[in-house]
Amino acid sequence: MSNHPLSAIWRVRNAAAETLALTEEQVRHRLREASINDLIALLETFSPARSTGPEWTRTFDPLIERLWLWRDDETMAALATAFRAKGVPWATVANALSPEQGATIRAGVRHPAWARLPAFTVA
Amino acid sequence: MVALRGRATVDRLRDEILGVRYREATTTFCRLVTEEKHPLKGVIKEAIAAAAPFVQVPSHLMRLPTGEMRGVNYDHTILGWRGAISLLSEIEGSKAVLPSVQAMWYVPQGLNIWEQIICEFPGHYARDGEKCDVKFPGPDHEVGRFDGPAWTAPKIYFEDHAPIEGGSVEERLTRMSWSIAEGNREEGYGLFLGLAKDPSCRDKLKEAILFSGIIDLQDTIINRGGYQNIGHKAIRARALVHIADYLGWENAHELIYTVVPDLGCAPRLHGLWTEISNICRMEIPAHASIAKRTDTPLTQRELDQLVEAMVWGGPFDVNAAIMGFFKRGAGVLDVGDAVFVCFQRYLMDVLEHPALFNHPTHALDYANVVLTWIRDYDSPHHVKGVFMAARFMNDTIRSNAMMPRDAKFTLESRRAHRAWADSIAVDHMLPLIKEHALAQDAPRTCALVDSYLDRTSERRALLDTITYAACHWQNDPHVMRNCSSSLEEYRHNRTPRRDDIIRGYAKHQSRYIKRAQTHDCFQVYVVHFHPANA
Repeated sequence: MSNHPLSAIWRVRNAAAETLALTEEQVRHRLREASINDLIALLETFSPARSTGPEWTRTFDPLIERLWLWRDDETMAALATAFRAKGVPWATVANALSPEQGATIRAGVRHPAWARLPAFTVA
Repeated sequence: MVALRGRATVDRLRDEILGVRYREATTTFCRLVTEEKHPLKGVIKEAIAAAAPFVQVPSHLMRLPTGEMRGVNYDHTILGWRGAISLLSEIEGSKAVLPSVQAMWYVPQGLNIWEQIICEFPGHYARDGEKCDVKFPGPDHEVGRFDGPAWTAPKIYFEDHAPIEGGSVEERLTRMSWSIAEGNREEGYGLFLGLAKDPSCRDKLKEAILFSGIIDLQDTIINRGGYQNIGHKAIRARALVHIADYLGWENAHELIYTVVPDLGCAPRLHGLWTEISNICRMEIPAHASIAKRTDTPLTQRELDQLVEAMVWGGPFDVNAAIMGFFKRGAGVLDVGDAVFVCFQRYLMDVLEHPALFNHPTHALDYANVVLTWIRDYDSPHHVKGVFMAARFMNDTIRSNAMMPRDAKFTLESRRAHRAWADSIAVDHMLPLIKEHALAQDAPRTCALVDSYLDRTSERRALLDTITYAACHWQNDPHVMRNCSSSLEEYRHNRTPRRDDIIRGYAKHQSRYIKRAQTHDCFQVYVVHFHPANA
């Protein structure tokens, strides 16, 4: 294997991608198996009062992407109803769970032929 | 449009201001200048004088019956004037007076803030922020009584005081700074008045009041509610210095009355200043002797590192990045300019929701105060000011990031319109930029600006166009203030990414939430000043 500095850093990048792909696979299983209440509890951690910080809250969009790709419309509708009922402070979360937003996300995420995973947001 | 009956006089202007008859006051303001031929400067002074007793509050924290605290807004009338006066030399021809007309339009709406937020006095805070017309509707539900006129006189919460004189200048400056920091408003104000009478200590006084404002800054706004000042102490101090230089210090008594007492008002927040002071003492012991500029400004890679720290990192990442630049020999303004320009990436590429511009652009204005203080004065504390500005910017970015992104406000990429923008001849672009900025179409405005910047070296007319479009919007002195900060920093910035200030400025002015959707004030200006190509 080449010792060129660019080769070395590309190997590091590939190792990170492999780790991330394996992690995403585990996340997919867990999200698919989770109950509505478990998903609600997870989404509630994104409120400013419960978030552990911006680094956590910034992963909201990646989570929403995965939910729209890995859960069915019925589950998403149940989540949307739950958060819409919580009122204005949770409007941002409810908006992300709207069918229109789901359609946009599902249409926008591409899965190149050479890639193991769809081109998700990493954040 | 308000009917023009009777002669426009200064007494009439004063009555209309105190009566919260802002449409009438604006018409009288315009007529004093155009019909009565009063110098603009004199009319601005009279408007500031009329409002001065009524812009103080007992505290910027109000204790609620529940025992909780809520924030009380800072006076913005003087900030509108500061922006307007600055823009007199930035916008060409008769258009230059538009920001002053906008500042006048706001003044009657910004009095007696304490009563406004408890729905006992009309004005912008009562009408818009507190929704008092919903909470306490008048007999005619069609008429919003919190839009004015006033049904009672505005209250005075801080009486005017006599100057305090005697003692050496140095002693009085030190005492004044301590009085402000410790909340002794009477002493701080009196000492300032005494010192202001002596032209020989003017520069020292200006430096000292800016310093008092700059060091009073919250360490974070995250989940803090009203326990912050979002840079208003510094921004007010800058307004005082700028307007006093314009009016002449001999004409500045009411201006000083407007600004200085509030610098000592609660809460006074020196936690961040203490942190930065400790860091500088421990890590950069010779910080007081760092040159303002060097021949080793930040490289492109260092600018990328600073963007990463400020936009995506946390407070300690920001500290570490800036400390590294100073330790390797960069000058104070080398880093200060970089902080201002790196922050633009947040405005350009990250911000989407119109309501989320508010705190970051206060940080932008605060940074402008810090950089002005560094450019114009000498102080052993300048390095700390750069840290303070960067930390404030980073904190507002992090505060916004505490809210999940709202998909309803997703903004189309400016790059999607670049081919369209490139297809337009350069000499046809400025009217289109104005049109799209007024339509609050940020993607097209920004695409046009990107294309313009790449295809011509002309900048003055572009900045003039963006600024004039921005100043069409009424009820919001932030607009004029933000304009003057961006234009001033663009003029002074020496980084290779200076044009990013224009890109951030265009995005800001074509996306920032508007307090009114109509242009009534602009129409008053058109009627009285007849601008070409309005």
